[in-house]
Amino acid sequence: MRILLVEDEKKVADIIDRGLKAERYAVDVAHDGTAGWELVAAYEYDLIILDLMLPGLSGTEILQKIRAKNQQVPILILTARDAMADKVKNFEAGADDYLTKPFAFAELLLRVKALLRRGPVNRSSVLRVADLEIDRLSQNVRRAGKKIELTSKEYGLLEYLATNPGRVFSRTMIIEHVWDQSFQGLTNIVDVYVRHLREKVDDPYPVKLLRTVRGVGYSLNDETQP
Amino acid sequence: MNVRSISFRLVVWYTSLLTGIFILLGVLFYFGLQHFVENDVQQTQMHRARQIADTLLARIQQTGEAYVADEIKTLYAPEINDRFIRLTRADGRVIYVSGAPTDGSFNPGEIAAATPGPGSDFSRQIHLPGGKTLLVAGVNFQPPNQTSSQQTLSRQTPNQQTPSQARYCVEVGALLDPFEAMLDRLFLQLALGLPLAAVIIAGGGWLLVRRALQPVAQITHAAELITQHNSSERMPVARTGDELEKLSVSLNRMIARLDDAFQNSKRFVADASHELRTPLTILHGELEMLAEDARLDAEGHERVASMLEEVARLAKIVEQLFALSRLDAGEAQTEWQPFDLAELARTTAEHMGLLAEDKHIAISSDASRPVLIEGDRARLKQVVVNLLGNAIKYTPENGAIQLSVNAVNGHAVLEVADNGIGIPSEALPHVFDRFFRVDSARSADSGSAGLGLSIVKSICTAHGAEVEVESTVRQGSCFRVKLPLFKN
Repeated sequence: MRILLVEDEKKVADIIDRGLKAERYAVDVAHDGTAGWELVAAYEYDLIILDLMLPGLSGTEILQKIRAKNQQVPILILTARDAMADKVKNFEAGADDYLTKPFAFAELLLRVKALLRRGPVNRSSVLRVADLEIDRLSQNVRRAGKKIELTSKEYGLLEYLATNPGRVFSRTMIIEHVWDQSFQGLTNIVDVYVRHLREKVDDPYPVKLLRTVRGVGYSLNDETQP
Repeated sequence: MNVRSISFRLVVWYTSLLTGIFILLGVLFYFGLQHFVENDVQQTQMHRARQIADTLLARIQQTGEAYVADEIKTLYAPEINDRFIRLTRADGRVIYVSGAPTDGSFNPGEIAAATPGPGSDFSRQIHLPGGKTLLVAGVNFQPPNQTSSQQTLSRQTPNQQTPSQARYCVEVGALLDPFEAMLDRLFLQLALGLPLAAVIIAGGGWLLVRRALQPVAQITHAAELITQHNSSERMPVARTGDELEKLSVSLNRMIARLDDAFQNSKRFVADASHELRTPLTILHGELEMLAEDARLDAEGHERVASMLEEVARLAKIVEQLFALSRLDAGEAQTEWQPFDLAELARTTAEHMGLLAEDKHIAISSDASRPVLIEGDRARLKQVVVNLLGNAIKYTPENGAIQLSVNAVNGHAVLEVADNGIGIPSEALPHVFDRFFRVDSARSADSGSAGLGLSIVKSICTAHGAEVEVESTVRQGSCFRVKLPLFKN
C-alpha cells in the first residue's frame, strides 16, 4: 500500500511518516503543494493525506486538480481549520475524510485503515476478542459463553474498542464516536463508563481485557496472548 | 420630574429670565405711561390757563371783571366739559368759578383756594372724596400797565386797590379719571397676562430644550445599539457643524478604537488557537510514540503519560478557545433547525446518567411536554452538557439535580438546579467570564480551565437567549436559560 503525505510542517510529517512506516505502509512525503502535485501526477497512490495550508499549491487546489483528473484515490484532509463551512467545501471538492489538528496518531491510523479498506470489505457481524463475543446484529455480548447485559452506551463503547483490538483509543476519539462532539469537554465520562464496563466484562473473569494506557486512552485485547 | 436634569434647569433659567424681563418692562411701561398722561393733562390745563390769562385777563382793565367771567363761561363751557375754572383776584375775591360739572364728580365751591405765589405757575392734585383726582394748573397773572393817564389815576388813589394793580390767579382743572381708568385696566391686563406669559414661556422653553436635546437622545440611542457584536457599525453623524456633530464624530472615533480592540482580541484568540495546534500535534504524536516505546522503563512511561495528560489538557483549552472565537465571529445560522428542547435535555441527561449515578446523585427531569425552539442542535446540546456536567461536578455525593424544560410566557426555559456547594455572591457576576474560577481549590481536581460557562454564554448569545444564575453557598445553584420559542 502506497501513501502520499503532503504536509509542510516537517515535524508533523515526520511523525506521520514514522508511524505509517511502522505499520508497514510505503510513504512518500512532500513538503509543499507543487512537489505534492508532481508526485500525484507521476505515481499511483492508494491514499493521499493532504494538509490544507500549504506553500505553493494549497491543499484545496490539489484536491480539485486530482478530482478534475477523475482519480478515484481516497483523500484524507488534515487541517487546523475546523469550521463547518470548510468541511462542507472540501467534501464537495471530493475529500473522503477530515481530521482536525491536534489529532492522536491512533485516530489517523484508524481513518487511514478505514479508507484503505473501502470497497468490498467483508465485515463479520461477530467481533471476537479472546473469549469475548460481540454480536453486532443482535447487540448481544457474551464472555465465556455467558451473556452480559449492557446499557446502550456501554455496548457502544465496547464495540468501538473491539473494532481494533490492541489499538489504543484516546478519550477524544471515544467521545466523538460513542457520544458526540457536544460531550467534548466531559472527558471523565469515558472513565466512568469504562469503570462500569470493567465491572461487568472483566471483574468476574481472571483474564482482564480492558486496558488503560495512561495519558493515551483505552484499548481492548488479551495481553496474555502475543 | 428630575430637578437636576439639564432640560429642567434650562427651562427654569429661561422662564425666570423672560418673566423677569416681562415684569420689568411692564413696570416701566405702566409708570412711564402714568407719568406721561399726568404730564400731558397738566400741560393742557396749564396751556388753557395761560390762554385765559393772555386773551381775557390782559384786557381786564378795559373790559371789566364781569365781562371776563362771562367770556370764560361762554368760551370754555367748563360744566359741560367736566372742567374746573376759577379766576381769583390777589386779594382773595373770586371773580369767576365754574359750576358743578354735569357728572357731579366735584363741587367747585369746595376746592380750596389757591395761594397764588409771586409770579410762578403752579399745579396740584386734589384728591376728591369719590376717590377721583382733580389736576389743577394755575397761572399767576399781572395784567400789563395801561396808559399813563390810568397810571396817573392810580397814583391818585394809592389806597384803593385798582384793577390795574391787581394780580389774578387763573386755575384750570380737569379730572384724571378717564386716564386712571385706563391705567387700571392696563395694570389688570399686565397682572393677568404675566402668569399666562410665564406658562407660555415655560412651555415654549420646554419644547425648545427638547428640540435642542433631541439629537443628543438620538445619539444616545444609536450608541446604545452598538455592542461587541456590531462594533463595526457607526452612528449617524448630524452634519450641523456644531457641538452635536463634534460629539457624534468623537463618539464614532471612540467606537472605532473599541472596534479595533474587539477585532484584535478576537483575531488574537483565533490566531493563537490556530497556531497552537501544530505544535500540539507534534508534541502529542512524539509522546504517543514514546509511550509505546518498549525501551522505556516504568518511571519513563509514567512521565510520558503525565506529559500526555497535560498535552490533552492544553489541547482541550485550545479547542474551547477556538470554539469561543468561532462563536465570537458569529457563526452562520445555516445549521439552525427547529427541534424539541425538552427531548434534547432528556436524552442528554440520560447519556450523562452514569456520571451522576457514579456519585449517587439523582437527576430528576421535568421535561415531558415538547418545547419547540430553533437553533443549532449540537451547540445547544453542549449548553445542556456543560450545565449538567458542572452541576454533577459541584454537587457532593448523594446530592440531587433537577432538570426542567418549560414554555413560559413565549420563552423556552431550561433550568438546571443542584443542591451542591453553590457559588459565593461576590463570584456570581463573573461565572460566565473566560478563565474565571470561583477559587483555585475548587477546580484544581477537575482540571477545567474555566471556559465551560463562557461557552454556554456565547452559545446562548448567538441564539438570542439569556442565561442567568442564582446561587446560595452550601445550598446549591440554579442556572436558567431563556430561549425564544420557535414560531412557525
